[in-house]
Amino acid sequence: MISKRLSRSTLPAFACALVNFVAAQGLILAGVTWPARTISAPGTLIVVHLLVIGWLSLLMLGALFQFVPVITCRPLPSQPLAFATVAILEAGLAGMVCGFIGFGGGSRELAIALPSGGAVVIVGVLLGCWNIGVPLIRSRPLPLPGRMILSGLIFLILTVTLGLSFALALTVAPLRPYLAPLMSGVGDHAIAGLGGWFTLTAMGVGYKLLPMFMLAPEERGITGECVHVLGAAGFALATGAGVARIWLTAEPLRIAQWTGYVAIGLAVTLYLWDIVRIYRTRRRALIEVHNRAVSGAFGFLGIATMLAAVFLATGHPAVGSPLVVFLLIFGWLTGLALTQLYKIVPFLTWLSRYGSHLGRGGVVPRVQDLVRERRGRRWFALYFLGVLLGAVSVLLRSGLAFRFDFALVTISTLGLITEYWRAWRGHYARPPNSRPDAPPFLPDPRGSP
Amino acid sequence: MGDGSALNREHVLDALHEVIDPELGSNIVDLGLVYELEVEGGLVKITMTMTTPGCPAQDYILSGVHERSKSLPGVTDVEVSLVWLPAWAPRLMTPAAKAHFGVRD
Repeated sequence: MISKRLSRSTLPAFACALVNFVAAQGLILAGVTWPARTISAPGTLIVVHLLVIGWLSLLMLGALFQFVPVITCRPLPSQPLAFATVAILEAGLAGMVCGFIGFGGGSRELAIALPSGGAVVIVGVLLGCWNIGVPLIRSRPLPLPGRMILSGLIFLILTVTLGLSFALALTVAPLRPYLAPLMSGVGDHAIAGLGGWFTLTAMGVGYKLLPMFMLAPEERGITGECVHVLGAAGFALATGAGVARIWLTAEPLRIAQWTGYVAIGLAVTLYLWDIVRIYRTRRRALIEVHNRAVSGAFGFLGIATMLAAVFLATGHPAVGSPLVVFLLIFGWLTGLALTQLYKIVPFLTWLSRYGSHLGRGGVVPRVQDLVRERRGRRWFALYFLGVLLGAVSVLLRSGLAFRFDFALVTISTLGLITEYWRAWRGHYARPPNSRPDAPPFLPDPRGSP
Repeated sequence: MGDGSALNREHVLDALHEVIDPELGSNIVDLGLVYELEVEGGLVKITMTMTTPGCPAQDYILSGVHERSKSLPGVTDVEVSLVWLPAWAPRLMTPAAKAHFGVRD
């Protein structure tokens, strides 16, 4: 029996995302780019899009295919379409990478793959948003995490639309006079993507998962509502006014953009305060390693937000953006992703391989029995240390030191991927000791489909 | 069971210790997920809940409860009802489970 509640596309999406993530890290270690290099360099564009589309977006969409039915108690409209979304996004990303290579090498024939790949990515995104959005829209009342995810999806569509405009401006000559001014809105594109899409969605997911795993009250009250409203309005104002200022110089637009920045700062501050409250009010004193390690990701979100505020207030946003973007992608979003995968992969493994054996004469392992927390703890410590040292190197503009620090990030990532793989293969699975008269353990799960 | 004694509530509860909530990693009886259990002859009626609505493991847990109960000698039929009220809370755990998780009262 395969549960209808198990999303079959989630683990393949995670696998594709991890491959893209390792590829991006390999390019960084090979010296193709690093955070202080100009964003318009083809190598930088390849790495950035491998990270934000290939890694974070695929991972987030894959997670939402499983997570949204949990919070809405409604199935996805189409499981096959979830698979198709993953395949289409991978194909679109491959096209974009080819386009960037052609763009850098002066090949017009290859460069046209950039807008073509971008268009394919938009198709994948729209399919994914439809599949995830329908159960959210139909769910009444929709809980706070669901509303935050819905807002995140709107920003995802906005982000990829802006991205396609850039691709068209770069590669299609007749459109260049109309779209070229948009190229100065790369920062707004990043705010919509890293902020509106990833951060708002991750905050919503965190609001459900953290209380659930730590047995803390789920109701977030007015604080949670403020986080959502301030965050969504803040990212919308910052992005919208930023894009409008490309053509218009009206003072109200500048005020609106700054109002957006302030709202974002308030939303993040309130969110982090609320997260501390969740930890403090949890009923479960003994928490698992992913819930301890994720505090590193929240810490980097706070540091990145503070640094962004300092660089903006002092009038040096361009100087600070490489560091802030690095901290957001690797410290906050990837930190959150890697720690939560440490729980989600074993849980999906349990659902896929062990769930159908429950109550049928054998003892099944617990999700906790599929991992070795001691190993996970070491990899997470090394990962966050690598990010911290890497951030210092970016601040000091030392490319060589950065590559050394980043090696720690890559080694720990590979270590964690090995642990996910071992969890999936049942490498650590053993019978729990709670019942001495327990029947024999299940046969080797590696034989299971 | 198996010694010829009549089926009773304790026999079923004891068997249900083998059905776990995979995420929390404890059995459903000690977690307090079993709200009511009645034995009427060979019929076992179980009313239970989950730790959270929409739990992805829900189908497996319900099926596990059904199968484990059905496997007991003397059981002819099993009815498992899933309810959401009262909502499950950590205070419903047994003292042993609370100690295991370090749950604060």
